[in-house]
Amino acid sequence: MVGMMASYSRERLEGLLSSAKSATELPPKLHRLRNLRRNLQGDEFVFPTELLPHLFDLLSDQFGAVRKFVVEILGEIGLKYVELLPEIVPLLIKSLKDETPAVARQVIACGADLFRSTLERVAVQRLHSSELNELLESSWTWMIKFKDEICSAAFKQGNSGVKLCAMKFVEALILLYTPDPSGSLQSSSHEGIQADFNISILRGGHPVLNIGDLSIEASQKLGLLLDQLRHPAAKSLNSSTIVVLINSLSSVAKKRPAYCGRILPVLLSLDPLSFLKGVHAAATNLSLKTVFLSCWKCTHPAAAPWKERLIGALKEIEGGGRAGKAKDLFYKTNGSIQDKDSVEDTKVSVEKNPTCASSVVAESNFGRKRSESEYSIDLNGDALSGKRARITPSVSENSSEGLHGNDGGSLTPVTSTSTGPSNSRGVTDTGPVQHLVAMFGTLVAQGVKAIGSLEILIPSISEDMLADVVMANMHNIPSNGSTYGDGTDELVMNMCIVGTDAQIKYPPSFVSAVLSLSTEFPPIAALINPHTPKTENEGEELCADHVDQQMFPAEGTVLATGLSASSDASFPENEECNIVFPPYVHYTGNIESGIPGLDSSAQHDVLSEALVTSVLDSTDVETASKNHISSFSGKLLVDVVPSVSVDKSEEFSPKAAGTGSDSLVLSTATSVASAPQFVLPKISAPVVDLSDEEKDSLQNLVFLRIVEAYKQISVSGGSQLRFSLLAHLGVEFPSELDPWKILQEHVLSDYLNHEGHELTVRVLYRLYGEAEAEQDFFSSTTAASAYESFLLTVAEALRDSFPPSDKSLSKLLGDSPFLPKSVLKLLESLCCPGSGDKVEKDLQSGDRVTQGLSAVWSLILMRPGIRNDCLKIALQSAVHHLEEIRMRAIRLVANRLYSLSFITQQIEEFAKEKLFSVVSCISSEREDAETLNDDCKQVLTCTPKQFIFGVDLDTSSEATSLTSVTEAQRCLSLYFALCTKKHSLFVHVFSIYKNTSKPVKQAIHHQIPILVRTMGSSSELLKIIADPPSGSENLLMQVLQTLTEGPMPSSELILTIRKLFDTRIKDVEILFPILPFLPRDDVLRIFPHLVNLPMEKFQVALSRVLQGSSQSGQVLSPSEALIAIHSIDPARDGIPLKQVTDACNTCFAQRQTFTQQVLAGVLNQLVQQIPLPMLFMRTVLQAIGAFPALSDFILEILSRLVSKQIWKYPKLWVGFLKCAQSTQPQSYKVLLQLPPPQLGNALTKISALRAPLTAYASQPEIQSSLPRSTLAVLGLVPDSQGTQTSQVQVSQEQVQASQEQQHASESQQTTQSQQVSVPLSHSEPEHQETSQVVASQSQSSPIGTGRSEMSQSQSSPVATGRSEMSQSQSSPVATGRSEMSQSQSSPVATGRSEMSQSQSSPVATGRSEMSQSQSSPVATGRSEMSQSQSSPVATCWSEMSQSQSSPINNGQSEMSQTQVSDSDPPAPTSHTRISDSQASSEMQPDDEKIDDTATTENETTEIEKSRESSAEEGEDEEEEEEEEE
Amino acid sequence: MRFRYAMVCSSNQNRSMEAHALLKRQGLDVASYGTGSHVKLPGPSLREPNVYDFGTPYKQMFDELRRKDPELYKRNGILQMLKRNLSVKLAPQRWQDNAGDGVFDVVVTFEEKVFDSVLEDLNNREQSLMKTILVMNLEVKDNHEEAAIGGRLALELCQEIEGNESWEDTIDDIVAGFEKQHRRKLVYSISFY
Repeated sequence: MVGMMASYSRERLEGLLSSAKSATELPPKLHRLRNLRRNLQGDEFVFPTELLPHLFDLLSDQFGAVRKFVVEILGEIGLKYVELLPEIVPLLIKSLKDETPAVARQVIACGADLFRSTLERVAVQRLHSSELNELLESSWTWMIKFKDEICSAAFKQGNSGVKLCAMKFVEALILLYTPDPSGSLQSSSHEGIQADFNISILRGGHPVLNIGDLSIEASQKLGLLLDQLRHPAAKSLNSSTIVVLINSLSSVAKKRPAYCGRILPVLLSLDPLSFLKGVHAAATNLSLKTVFLSCWKCTHPAAAPWKERLIGALKEIEGGGRAGKAKDLFYKTNGSIQDKDSVEDTKVSVEKNPTCASSVVAESNFGRKRSESEYSIDLNGDALSGKRARITPSVSENSSEGLHGNDGGSLTPVTSTSTGPSNSRGVTDTGPVQHLVAMFGTLVAQGVKAIGSLEILIPSISEDMLADVVMANMHNIPSNGSTYGDGTDELVMNMCIVGTDAQIKYPPSFVSAVLSLSTEFPPIAALINPHTPKTENEGEELCADHVDQQMFPAEGTVLATGLSASSDASFPENEECNIVFPPYVHYTGNIESGIPGLDSSAQHDVLSEALVTSVLDSTDVETASKNHISSFSGKLLVDVVPSVSVDKSEEFSPKAAGTGSDSLVLSTATSVASAPQFVLPKISAPVVDLSDEEKDSLQNLVFLRIVEAYKQISVSGGSQLRFSLLAHLGVEFPSELDPWKILQEHVLSDYLNHEGHELTVRVLYRLYGEAEAEQDFFSSTTAASAYESFLLTVAEALRDSFPPSDKSLSKLLGDSPFLPKSVLKLLESLCCPGSGDKVEKDLQSGDRVTQGLSAVWSLILMRPGIRNDCLKIALQSAVHHLEEIRMRAIRLVANRLYSLSFITQQIEEFAKEKLFSVVSCISSEREDAETLNDDCKQVLTCTPKQFIFGVDLDTSSEATSLTSVTEAQRCLSLYFALCTKKHSLFVHVFSIYKNTSKPVKQAIHHQIPILVRTMGSSSELLKIIADPPSGSENLLMQVLQTLTEGPMPSSELILTIRKLFDTRIKDVEILFPILPFLPRDDVLRIFPHLVNLPMEKFQVALSRVLQGSSQSGQVLSPSEALIAIHSIDPARDGIPLKQVTDACNTCFAQRQTFTQQVLAGVLNQLVQQIPLPMLFMRTVLQAIGAFPALSDFILEILSRLVSKQIWKYPKLWVGFLKCAQSTQPQSYKVLLQLPPPQLGNALTKISALRAPLTAYASQPEIQSSLPRSTLAVLGLVPDSQGTQTSQVQVSQEQVQASQEQQHASESQQTTQSQQVSVPLSHSEPEHQETSQVVASQSQSSPIGTGRSEMSQSQSSPVATGRSEMSQSQSSPVATGRSEMSQSQSSPVATGRSEMSQSQSSPVATGRSEMSQSQSSPVATGRSEMSQSQSSPVATCWSEMSQSQSSPINNGQSEMSQTQVSDSDPPAPTSHTRISDSQASSEMQPDDEKIDDTATTENETTEIEKSRESSAEEGEDEEEEEEEEE
Repeated sequence: MRFRYAMVCSSNQNRSMEAHALLKRQGLDVASYGTGSHVKLPGPSLREPNVYDFGTPYKQMFDELRRKDPELYKRNGILQMLKRNLSVKLAPQRWQDNAGDGVFDVVVTFEEKVFDSVLEDLNNREQSLMKTILVMNLEVKDNHEEAAIGGRLALELCQEIEGNESWEDTIDDIVAGFEKQHRRKLVYSISFY
């Protein structure tokens, strides 16, 4: 059946093959081949050899994939049917050179499998039969050929894919050819599991395979591999080859540690950077790093000496990073062990109670032992110099491994344990120290005799050296018996108790000496006698014995015995080795303790069942230990052994090294120079099962205890390092237990004394590093959150527990590596406490804000990374709704931050945004647009007044808008603050002003004074002022107002404002602020504009002009102002007459300023003007009304008017008559001076005058003086036409005469009034009457309102006037009079009092004029008098008199000329003229002449024109007045 | 040349799955693994991560998390990620535990730690097949955005390799070109099966 099957299959397979062959497409071919392969894999299937040729044919198929597949199939066949190999292999060899790399690679892969299996078969067959199958043998020869082919591919240039595989093959070959030291002892020859094949099974001898030859070959191949990596050759390799080479070598080194000595030097010397660039170097470096790390982890003794260099190389590669990690890793594991131990220790110490259960004691003993061993190592690590410290890892790792092994209960690891530590010992080349140790050992061994020398020796050794010696001996502390845990005393006791017979021999004195020494040098003590037979269980005892024997053999034990005990006859090489070294070994045997023979023999005892292979191991160890001794002794006795072992054997060529692989191993080991010195006892692990909770609480306790211990740290110092440790500990601590909380509590319990800041910062940095380093999703986020919560908790605690002035928080934030959002939020809440926040209630909230702000400030300065966030906080705070907070923040922002160039822009933008937001949001808040507009208008109109009068804006605003005012202030204040820093920003305030709502405007006006005062009139501000956006006039006004409030506004400012007035803003109000500072001419020039203003504004302007500035005094005197008003021509200046009259009224209302004298002076001046000012008579009337005492003076004026033919000015003529009427009866005289026709006219106009006048004229003395024509008019004489006309001339003359007469009478009257008060009082009622008349008259006129106001306002000056009077007059008579006037009606009293006060100055001046014409002596006296009186009036008078004289002389035409000249030249000229006339009367004629010439030069046409125009104007004025009436 | 690719990150959730999904969509023969000991996903608080064993189906995680707090996991993108993952394969797989998955030609890792783990694992395996395996490390941060970028880069890299008959000869150039083009460091090593 089977045969049938087979034949069937065969046929089928043949069919498949042939069809595969014939198929032209790749897929069907492969498909068929796959089918074939499936069929071939059947177990019971016997391969038909006939198929082979078909397959071979397919090897030359056109498709690479097919060829590859066929190779695969052939490989499988070869594995199964070794006998077919001789046929298959040649073809495979051929295929090795296939042009498709994949095929070649497949060939190599197959080759590897085939080679391995064949080798195995060959090797195993020997075990079963002495004869080797011929077929197998031929297969093997073919395989060797195949192998050689592949190897050659590995070492020549070529396709790198193939080469890589070939190299891998070589690696496998090396591994196959060398014994696996770590291979399991029960190496089964189980087929198929090739991993278990170990060449060491050939040790028994093999006809074909010589293990020595094989290892030589392996060594050669390794050499070839290494050669490739050596400097010149490596250059030509590509990086993938190098990577694979390195990886292969590393795996060889790992699996065959014996080769470490050859491989590692090459790898270590490989500097990829020197000949590779970029990527290649990176890849190479990486694999090197991996290799080094794995080698470093390798525990094999052969690797040990390289660890130091490996770490160095790793550091070099990674800049220390990885190596550091490796070390960290180590310390971590080590540390954790230690931790556990210390936990146990603690427990023990806590429960150190004799009544404790024995089991506990035992446990603790174990624990202690273990911990002690760790301790000793650690101490080593700590105290030794750096070089040695680097070695310790290997020691402790081994030892811990040893522990592990012991735990497992198997004894085999003991070997490794014993070898492990020895390495460290062996490598230490601290020559002098070892020397000393040895010397101590020798001395102690000598016993009593040595006491003296010991005593001499010890003090002579330097402390450092002693310490080194102690450290060096730490290795030698036996783990059993003597323990530190029990304290030194106990140790000593132990030692005493533990004494062997050797101890007994020594006298007590020596023992005590040794003991004292031993307390100082426990290791030495341990060296002397650590034997502790008691309390050990069986296993341990065995172990301890083992150790003891190893360390303290009986003196004089000869090596030979050890050798004879240990050496196996089957290993001649071993003996060879022994032969090489005996002398030293022998010698050292006496001094040192380690006797390998005993060691191994002990081992042999235990491992009686051990396989032969393990024997090899033990011999390895043994030889190694011997070598160590030799090297050790070599150092001790330098002369004797100059050069045995210190060399690194990397360059040992296999041939030179010896005859076999063992020798090779040996040579390597020689360099390693290790000896078993330190053996850990077998300890059954003290396993205490703790529940998770218990573990947690234990850990917590430990941590707490550690933290508690830190409270004393500051005293002892060194906190810097320790803090790092603590932080590190926290990171390593299980996070469930929340070590951070404990730390936080510690930190916060006493922040200052516990150096909380430092510790916190350490912790933060540690956590931050953790968070940054870990790329793992989870752990980084965990660390980040731990970081965040730690920082936040501490920060919050700092905030809450420290006063605001404390800088800790700021410092902490500044020093932390990173500020998460939550912390920024904390800062924000500090800087901008929200409403309803409890912080607000805190009294210190302001200081808190300052604290927060200062932190923010420093953060902005120091941490560019979060600068924006911090700035945002500061800015938010700067627009905080609480003013106090806002102000603090603004101070920070404007004063400190704004000057930082990198954030200036941002601050500005933010402020601007807020500024503009005010326009949009606040105005939109109010939906009622109309009321808004109304409000605005109201504000606009009332604002100037308000600010001028200093009315608080808030009081006028409604309550509802108050909130938005504060809101506006909230948004604006930052910007204003910035404006003070950068004035050009101010322009935006102007530009938004127009569109802002009322509350915003209020807010702005509120701030402007402070702001502008701070800014001063800088050039930027002037620039803004020079070109203000439209709509900002009110704001501008306030700005100007504020600017001029100060001392003296700069000339630039004045210039700017004037320019502005001239060019852009025609509103004269803009000039108000600078009015006092303007030159007189300018003021006069703009005076019409001022008059044109509403009355209250004019009042303001007037007061400013009159008041002037403190420096320059008043700009205009009151009289000048009044004259200026009168000189306004409504038609010419385009100002309504009403405005002018109002202005006059305003002036009259201010009786303090416009006093009687002023008025008199003004009238005197005005009366000389030609033509007379339009409002002249009105003013005269007003003057009479205001100051009845002026009536005499006014009468004089009236008479002068008569002489000026007042009737020619129709309007004034009316006023004249009114005036005459109001001043009757004194005016009769004047009236009578009128030419008869005019008199008639007057009497017809005011018929009421006729009767009294006639009555007056009918008085005989007067009638006689009157011309007939006048009398005729009065009806006193019959009328005659002829006389009337003829009398015209006469009447003119009479007028003059009467004038003079009038003067005389007036003076008489005044003197009378001066002398006697009775007549004056007599005239009082008359005055009263007239004033009443005036009042009634004015009431009837449309101007009445102004008048009435005036009369109203008159009530107040009265009182003052009176008081003045009483002040000036000290005589009892005067007082009495004042009392009298009080009882009288007020206007009268004023009039009188003023009169008496001023002592009738106009009269005096009148006299002075007169005096010019009169005799001189009197005149001088009089003029002096007038000078002593108020000057302006006097001067005016004198000038008037001059000009008066001219018209009389030159006639009418001259008069018109002077009118022109009067109107043309500006006021100052006349002023100077006045002063001139004041200075000397002689100068006056000259001046007059100049003036005359100037006027005569004028062309007559012009004069006529002006005359015409003035006439026209006069008509116009008339019309206007009529209209008004 | 058809290669087999493996994408490996630590949890086989984010980066490797992103690349896996991408490569799969492009028709490459790809698998993905993680090298960590557990699959960890962010939880409600940072102290309470969601820990799963490898092999827990994505669907199960998805359902569980959606039940727990749909808002949270939607917000941090976990649900979307899991949804994507469950459309790619059943469950996260651990690299070390899946040696039986067969032979890969190219392994792309996204983190040095993972790279090292993969190499170590490969070295610990019996290397008898004489078959090269290219292990490359492309550093990609473990977040969604970077993972998307990393996935595209991995795809590009694999396509580049795919275009070659045998990468052994050209790998240096490929790596150099890639580094130059993307300004990212790329480290590779070669191991054997």
